[in-house]
Amino acid sequence: MNDDRFDVIGRVTRRQDGHAMVTGRQLYSSDISLPNMLQARVLRSPYPHARIAAIDTSGAERLGAVCVTPEDVPRVKYNERQVSVPAKTYRDRTVLPDKIRHVGQGVVAVAARTEALADKALDALDVGFESLPAVFDPHEAMRDGAPQLHDAVMLGETVLPIERNIACSREAVEGDVARGLEEADLVVENEFTTGRAYHGQLESKAVVCRPEADGGITVWATTQSIHNTRQLLGILFDIPLSKINVQRVPIGGSFGSSIQMNSSVAICVALALKAQKPVKLVLTREEDMYDHCKYPSNIHLTYGVKRDGTLTAGHLKTVVDIGGHNIQAYPLLGCMAGWFVSLYRLPHLKFEGTAVYTNKAPACAMQGYGNPQVTFAVESMMDTIAEALDIDPIDLRLKNYVGLGETFWGQGPTVRSVIRSCGVEEMLLKGRAMVGWERRGSPARKTGRFRRGIGVGRGFHTSGTGAPTPGEVIDYSTAMVKINEDGSVDCLTALMCHGGGTLEAGAKMVAEELGVPLDRVGISPSNTRSTGYDVCTHATRGVYCGGASLLRAAQDVKKILLDFASRIIDVNPEALKVQPDTSRGQGFVFLPGAPAKRISVAEVAKTAQIKGWGSIIAVVSHRQVNCPPCFVVNFVEVEVDTATGQIRPVRAVAAVDAGTVINPDLAAGQLEGGLCRGIGLALLEDTTYKPDSGELTCGGYLTDYKIYTAQDMPSLEDLSTFFADTYEPSGPFGAKGVGEAANNATAGAVANAIYNAVGVRLTEAPITPERVLSALTREAEQLQQGR
Amino acid sequence: MTTYPIDIKVNGEWKQAEVTARETLLDALRNRLRAFEVKDGCSQGDCGACTVILAGRPVNACLTLAVQANGKEVTTLKGVGTSEQPDPLQKSFVEHGAIQCGFCTPGVVVSAKALLEANPCPNREEIREGISGNLCRCTGYTQIVEAIEDAAAQGRGGVGEREDA
Repeated sequence: MNDDRFDVIGRVTRRQDGHAMVTGRQLYSSDISLPNMLQARVLRSPYPHARIAAIDTSGAERLGAVCVTPEDVPRVKYNERQVSVPAKTYRDRTVLPDKIRHVGQGVVAVAARTEALADKALDALDVGFESLPAVFDPHEAMRDGAPQLHDAVMLGETVLPIERNIACSREAVEGDVARGLEEADLVVENEFTTGRAYHGQLESKAVVCRPEADGGITVWATTQSIHNTRQLLGILFDIPLSKINVQRVPIGGSFGSSIQMNSSVAICVALALKAQKPVKLVLTREEDMYDHCKYPSNIHLTYGVKRDGTLTAGHLKTVVDIGGHNIQAYPLLGCMAGWFVSLYRLPHLKFEGTAVYTNKAPACAMQGYGNPQVTFAVESMMDTIAEALDIDPIDLRLKNYVGLGETFWGQGPTVRSVIRSCGVEEMLLKGRAMVGWERRGSPARKTGRFRRGIGVGRGFHTSGTGAPTPGEVIDYSTAMVKINEDGSVDCLTALMCHGGGTLEAGAKMVAEELGVPLDRVGISPSNTRSTGYDVCTHATRGVYCGGASLLRAAQDVKKILLDFASRIIDVNPEALKVQPDTSRGQGFVFLPGAPAKRISVAEVAKTAQIKGWGSIIAVVSHRQVNCPPCFVVNFVEVEVDTATGQIRPVRAVAAVDAGTVINPDLAAGQLEGGLCRGIGLALLEDTTYKPDSGELTCGGYLTDYKIYTAQDMPSLEDLSTFFADTYEPSGPFGAKGVGEAANNATAGAVANAIYNAVGVRLTEAPITPERVLSALTREAEQLQQGR
Repeated sequence: MTTYPIDIKVNGEWKQAEVTARETLLDALRNRLRAFEVKDGCSQGDCGACTVILAGRPVNACLTLAVQANGKEVTTLKGVGTSEQPDPLQKSFVEHGAIQCGFCTPGVVVSAKALLEANPCPNREEIREGISGNLCRCTGYTQIVEAIEDAAAQGRGGVGEREDA
């Protein structure tokens, strides 16, 4: 996809970091190795709920290990995630715990010269636990007399008592749902669940901390936000932020797993401060699985609809099992409300959400932040309604979707904006033709052991969390751009790339704006001491918000460039243009139509330096005042083996409306990856627990957890991606996000495809062969009884 | 702890290391020989990020004892090619956008190298099987398979001459 309006935007280019990655020179936190560095290990609780009765570290210390216990760490209550404003931040954990709330929770940490010695020291620790009754089901946890995980937590600076393990709840109402349901010709309701999927990022969480001579620390950590990590460490360890330097390190995948400052970071810092030596802590895969998972969902959904397919009311009730700690359940519930009301127009609506503590690994954001869960339920229901009313599922969606000019709740009830670009119709109609929608047929007429079905799923994600007014969520980015004396450009930002090409996109925007060849635009290494604040690379905000800050800085730099050039070639700066000349590896400032009035960007910068006019540099902090939806449509074809219950995805079409696409090949890669993880959520992924011990049934093994390999995905000829042709007026060069949107509609499309194949509605994801078989059996029995 | 001297030819260069009996090849490569291009994704043979070619065959370095590599040749990603002289596979991965976070890449490229050495003209199914021991959480594998296919075609002397499987 080449766009003639642009030199580099929308063109396939080689990513700057690509060669480092393919030649093994890219180093991640787990690869950092410093002189005199100690290796850390953490003793973790085998019990899901327990008091810590006694800790004896003398054996480990005799081996030369440095140990930290709950007694040695700050008692400050904190929340790993620092994105909500302080008054809306729930704080319920300490660096090491006062009480055990899930298996795998760290209790005592040791650091020693080698990993082998650290392991020995771990074995030499003596920790006594008093086991407490545990609760694993959120509904049981809300009953009177259920074991209580927390007596009280902090909300902002207020002590908040916790009752019936309810961490928080949220409601959103517009109109009168009861009236809306009365006005309906048809009322449908059903329950939907999705699992506690595991992020499965390839690099398990890692951190290195080096204490500095001035009492400060330098930290290399897997994180999506270096600034929030620094702020939290400053609060916990009472170190001025000017003495905490968190380095941006490439991250080996994230998908939300490091959206917060992971608990291991604070543990590592505590060890390093005590040892006064650098300390490295890399989680084992099993530890990583006990650290975080996706928020599961349990959704009761009711819709009222007129005979012509017009929705009259929607009511969504959800209980979310958040595990042992509340990381971001309050904004999650707000977002789930937002996703629900922004999918389809509802004259009357109600959302009720409750987040509940259980003795399991804490849930956190994972690609979509409640969106794939809600969209799975809503998109399943759309097909149920379409069938009941004998309307084509695509037509029903076209009739009711929230689109151009309508209100989008991009980040819950408090963050709303008006939709100004929308490719939904284009994607549904084009995708329908590409997948061969007319082949789908009716499940009633499908026979034989292997049956195929085609399903559609529609959805979106927000692009960032910006809004015209400050809300409950912080959102802005800071960028510095400078033109060097040879005409090349440095871009400095705390933005992260999780692999999707975010920083590459930023460099392209700067190149485009300044008229400098892309290979002369560098992305500078970054850390908290040299960059301004950036909230976090999350919420699909990298390109739309972070890119916009780079573009704003480039615009400011361009003004200076043209001003300096006008002094040299004596032309009004307003009349000047800049264009790259790739053969000379330079940008040129010129007056159109006047060949003599032309000067290279390098010459302008060098002249400015020699004459002492100053550097061509700008720093901008920028908040987007919108959060436009990046819409997505998935068509999926599956084959169901009715004898085994096995489901095989055989064909898929994935489309996104990302506005102007900056990196087409990388955006397509995000669509393909999102689809893969979406199919995983639909068919495969959940972290289940042994009911007696509270341990993970997969035992910390990826093989037993199961994620898709190359052999399981639809094969190449059968997977197509495309982009809607739209332009977002509020986005940098018309761009919106892609990231999370890529997987939000997939699980619904898969469930609808299964229904189209076998005529049975599967509402519990992952839709495992066992669940398919039992649903098929139930259906057959009901048919027999009916006869 | 007792250690044993081993000699391994890593990417064409003989190296000596003192390893313990229980030490994995992965730990020896990373901790003793500082071969940080070999990534540690799970240490338990699930993810394939640590794949290296040992005596001509791709293995999970985390499931191989260091002493088993004594006297043998090991190829890591850096042995497949360098920035100055990249292998067609490495160039193809960049050109096809077959890398996202890059953490699985060292293992995938090494597996692909082993595959193409054993079978220079694999079809798509064979490519998918060849890298099925390498988990990638970012890409959904599509561009990876395309990149390998293209590199294989280049190895045979022409892009676009490949037969679609």
